[in-house]
Amino acid sequence: MDVYIKGLGNISPQNTADNSQFLEEIVEYNQNNLQVIHPIYKDHISPIRLRRMSRMIKMGIAAASICLDDAGLTDPGAIITGTGFGCTGDTEKFLLAMIANAEQHLTPTAFMQSTHNTISGQIAIMLNCNNYNSTYVNRGTSFEAAFQDAMMLIEEGEANDALIGGFDECTDNHYIITSRLGYWKERDIKNTDLYTAGSKGSISGEGASFFAISKDSGNNSYAKIKAVSHFYKPDGFKDVEKRILSFLEANGHSPGSVDLVVNGLNGDEEGDRVYHQLMSGMLKNCTHTRYKHLCGEYDVSSAFALWLASKILKTQTVPKSVRVENAPEGQIKTVLVYNHFNFSYQGLFLLESC
Amino acid sequence: MEELINKLKAEIIEVLNLEDISPEDIEAESPLFGEGGLGLDSIDALELIVLLEKNYEIKIENPQDGKQIFFSIQSMADFITQQKVA
Repeated sequence: MDVYIKGLGNISPQNTADNSQFLEEIVEYNQNNLQVIHPIYKDHISPIRLRRMSRMIKMGIAAASICLDDAGLTDPGAIITGTGFGCTGDTEKFLLAMIANAEQHLTPTAFMQSTHNTISGQIAIMLNCNNYNSTYVNRGTSFEAAFQDAMMLIEEGEANDALIGGFDECTDNHYIITSRLGYWKERDIKNTDLYTAGSKGSISGEGASFFAISKDSGNNSYAKIKAVSHFYKPDGFKDVEKRILSFLEANGHSPGSVDLVVNGLNGDEEGDRVYHQLMSGMLKNCTHTRYKHLCGEYDVSSAFALWLASKILKTQTVPKSVRVENAPEGQIKTVLVYNHFNFSYQGLFLLESC
Repeated sequence: MEELINKLKAEIIEVLNLEDISPEDIEAESPLFGEGGLGLDSIDALELIVLLEKNYEIKIENPQDGKQIFFSIQSMADFITQQKVA
């Protein structure tokens, strides 16, 4: 069953919180750790609630609030989020206090806010919404799982609309630990040089992206979501190619009917190989775009990709900063979002214009 | 006593993350909870219990006493002084 994107809210390392703008100007970074540009939170959250919220929670609640306002939605039929690590800052605060105070004198706030489902819970409290509420934490495909759950709820008639979000934050400790795992480039690069740096690793990112979806198209939808799919640890490139082909065919499409692809290229030589093979092979006739130089790499960066695809379809504009080569010719009707996180976590979205 | 009251005000502002409030804005006699004061809630109460334990090594043995102890900054300061003397 098709669903329609009615509202967006995106807080990222770019100026994306304002829905009237669309990447007209790019923020450049000279470090490998991209951090979000915070909006004025008091514009979106009451000061009483705001004082107890940590950085990640402010990001999530504000993004959700912007999205709900954009969609004119006050009581979503479901609130579903996806996150790789949840509220990392609060988790660190609570764990560090446990060590520092020998497991004594532990305060409740950091503990309450350290759980992964804090944001979906706080949105529900803010809206006084007692409907279905869930959070997916399956690392690199958490956002896809959250979206799939919402689509199934709508298909089964359990809800008419839903609020879906993907969020993750990168704290200093998280960055140091993941650096040791070889996730990031050893030398600082400019984010706009991500795809030409030619080395191992990517640049770290973070963000909170929310989507309001509905079974009704209405007048102001951004895009129609045909399908979402995710899979784990494919058996090499051929398997990925086969799964993408099956995904397209199962939804009445073929590689030739896809106008534009949002690729999850992240500058890592090894990880990007699969994208390059697709771009020069099965999907060579599509217009290609990329986005991780704008938001960095993180578990639910596909939420940023879906935001980008939705905006492209609604505005019929492909910002110069995301183009791999030339702008597309003619109307953009069908968009495929393909992203993988460390190759193990693979996600696909298929969108059509309304 | 004045020194202790000012110290408590600063600690409460920090622990409860009371942005936009300075120690001068808090009246020592004003209620901490409910209307007419700082408008703190039950989670803040837990934070204040931990503050007393951590910073002053004072444990509240009888939870029933909490309402009186945490009525205002003044009542907290009185309780701390009384416990230190004891």
